[in-house]
Amino acid sequence: MKKFLLSFVLLTLAVWAGAQVSVTARVDKTNLTLDDELTLTVEVNGASGNMVMPQLPSLPAFNVYSREVQRTSINGKTSTVFRYTMLPRFVGNATIGAIQFTYNGKTYKTDPISVSIYRNAQGISQSRPASSSAKAVSSGNYDSAAVKRPRETADPNLPPLERDLANQAYARGDENYFLVAAVSDKNPYVNEAVTLAVRFYYNRPFYDAPYQKPTVSNIFMEDAGSSQGTQSIGGNLYRYEEQRYLLTGATPGQATIGPATVRYMTGSSPLSVVDRLFGGAIVNQEQTAQSAPFTLTVRALPANGKPGSFYGAVGTGFTMSAQADRTRVEAGEAVTLTVTVKGPGNLKSTADLQFPALDGFKMYPAQAVSDSSVANGRISSTKVFKTVLVPAASGIYTIPAVKWSYFDPSSRTYKTLQTEPISLTVSPSTKTDTGFDFGAAAAAAAGIQTLGQDIAYLKTDHAPAPSVLVTMSTWRMLNWILLAVLAASVLFASVGRKSLASKRVYTSAKSRLKKAFSPEAVSEAVSDYLQQRMHISTGSLPLKAILAALAKHGITPATVEAFSLLWQRLDVARFAPGTPGTLSAQELAHQALDILKLLEEEAQ
Amino acid sequence: MKRILLTVLLLGFAAASWGQTALQQAEGYYREGKFSAALGLYEKELKNTPNDPYVYYNIGNCYFKMGSKGLAAANYYRAFKLAPRDSDIRHNLTLALAAGGERLVPAGVPEVLHKAFFYLSYQEVQGLTFLLLWLFCALGSVWLLKRKFKRVFLTSAVILLLCGGWLYARYTLEQARLAVVAAPVAEVRSGPGANFPASASVPQGHLLTVQDTKDDWYEVIVKSQGLKGWVEKNAVEQI
Repeated sequence: MKKFLLSFVLLTLAVWAGAQVSVTARVDKTNLTLDDELTLTVEVNGASGNMVMPQLPSLPAFNVYSREVQRTSINGKTSTVFRYTMLPRFVGNATIGAIQFTYNGKTYKTDPISVSIYRNAQGISQSRPASSSAKAVSSGNYDSAAVKRPRETADPNLPPLERDLANQAYARGDENYFLVAAVSDKNPYVNEAVTLAVRFYYNRPFYDAPYQKPTVSNIFMEDAGSSQGTQSIGGNLYRYEEQRYLLTGATPGQATIGPATVRYMTGSSPLSVVDRLFGGAIVNQEQTAQSAPFTLTVRALPANGKPGSFYGAVGTGFTMSAQADRTRVEAGEAVTLTVTVKGPGNLKSTADLQFPALDGFKMYPAQAVSDSSVANGRISSTKVFKTVLVPAASGIYTIPAVKWSYFDPSSRTYKTLQTEPISLTVSPSTKTDTGFDFGAAAAAAAGIQTLGQDIAYLKTDHAPAPSVLVTMSTWRMLNWILLAVLAASVLFASVGRKSLASKRVYTSAKSRLKKAFSPEAVSEAVSDYLQQRMHISTGSLPLKAILAALAKHGITPATVEAFSLLWQRLDVARFAPGTPGTLSAQELAHQALDILKLLEEEAQ
Repeated sequence: MKRILLTVLLLGFAAASWGQTALQQAEGYYREGKFSAALGLYEKELKNTPNDPYVYYNIGNCYFKMGSKGLAAANYYRAFKLAPRDSDIRHNLTLALAAGGERLVPAGVPEVLHKAFFYLSYQEVQGLTFLLLWLFCALGSVWLLKRKFKRVFLTSAVILLLCGGWLYARYTLEQARLAVVAAPVAEVRSGPGANFPASASVPQGHLLTVQDTKDDWYEVIVKSQGLKGWVEKNAVEQI
């Protein structure tokens, strides 16, 4: 009895299940050329377990060269899709007759589908998908009808790259496998990183699909990760595999991105479940999908306003920080200063940061290290610059702010980041060994090391008052005047006094000669004149010597001769008075006056 | 009268103490690393004491710490001309010039000789010459009037002559219009205008001799290189 009941329940369930089975047939296009492929899809819903392949009608207008089966089960509902790829053979209208599907003893038929085959694309005004549906014959047939759908467009709020990819996919939604590619910006600046995304869309199974990435010229490309996703196109759910790349132009100009290629096998893998289900009666076919090539125009960075701290980074949202591994050290100990720059895009190609020279420190720059990571489809880079600072002497130092600039493409301006200054306390070295050598001049004394050179400290007061010499120089006009007065006085005192004295001697001699009443008085007056005026002592000198002395004083020979005659007459008048021809004292005085006048004039 | 004297004294004391306060404040800024603020105070102080070599020296220190080695060298040079015997000034000037590849003591000249030649400032050499002239005149007077100290007089004449030669040499140097490249780089052009091609670029801290002036341009000779050309006035600092 139990067995009977169980059989009845199973039979009832089978009848119920059979009543839920539906079979539809559709083609991917109803207008095609001789060069096109036609995909006929037979979808069976509600059937599970073992089943036989649908029975195709006679198709004289087509060559069926590929078949594939795909089975999916969602929430207990099983759907099996049989897909046939056909090539048209003749131009004209062709009809795909009813396709029969037998399940649990029941036969289901689809409606015939008409397609038009043209010689070339000009004959096709519009390609539209068509479908037909079928239910169990017992429940009646439904007409196959092409459903024209409006072209879908992507959500305008999507990022440009995703929007572009999605729109390309919508445009090719009548294909089962296709490859699209797009970049985030077709006019990037030099060193600006742009993202290239390549998506392989499919709504049919495939296997063994080697992928060939696009070739590029005049631009650097590196992998930026891969992802998967789905997109509904024309009511069909497509899966896609996405590969992203980072493109960076090093020089301005045109850069080309070649097509990416996927060679895929349709049908099932020989080891697939489906193959095992259906005994491997599936035809495999290798196909190729390619993305369209395109060109980028790399723009040069503006020369105006380029700061000295610009090392080539281009992007938006960079950040910068600086850190010293310690802030208290002894003189001669090393401190590592690390400056980290983070931001979008690729920092590998940027030049290394130049640390400013620090007085009192020896600097040993280390090579910069850059790293990049991909998150949420975006690449971000970190570049770490390190330098080792060795303070030469103790003191409190400030490591000044380090500047680093980048070009922001969104605002088209250069922006400069700078770190916070870092205070460093350096205590005197406690090391007793030979210590460190800063390359300065060798120490002169044992135990003393030259650590480096710096300028001497400030003068904390005003300079002392100028020296006497400066004061003398300041009063130089007064100096000149006083010196001139001094010189005049000395000259006057020196030359004028001589002149006065000689005049006085001459005047005295003249006075005495005018009063002389004897040759002795005349002789004495002349002798005194010679003695005082020319320092010639007549008492101790013979006449010849007197004459020679006169000549030395510049007296002319005629005057010397006249003086000689006078002197001889004076001797005769003094020592042999009464000698004939002897002149009187008055006559001798007159002659003496004349000769003294000549001597006064000629004497040097 | 007493009130006037008291007011004058108080004013003088206030001025002196203000100067001291300003120097102390500037030193405070300098020690804190606020070189720009210290520089501002020293430049204000320079207006009160225009020929103070120490103020020039301190200004040079501020510029040096701010990285302007050319302007630092220019101010050290001004201080050096006023106080050439100050070892700190000489030291800092040597360092600032060395930063620009220049030397205070020309190559081949013994430092001792250089120090002797610049032992006195130009004004001091002038003052010494006057002093010797006075001595010479005094001894000459004695000799003329008394015929005494002839040898001392002649010796003073020789010394005066030597000092006159020293003064002449220093005068020649004083008349040379020295300048220092203050901008990071000064371009030497073949004419006084940006339309003339640049023949050389001279980095900061190099010494120049100004030959001529035309509008905003100096005709200069780069002493260390033997170059001659025109540079923009705002690129150099005349000493």
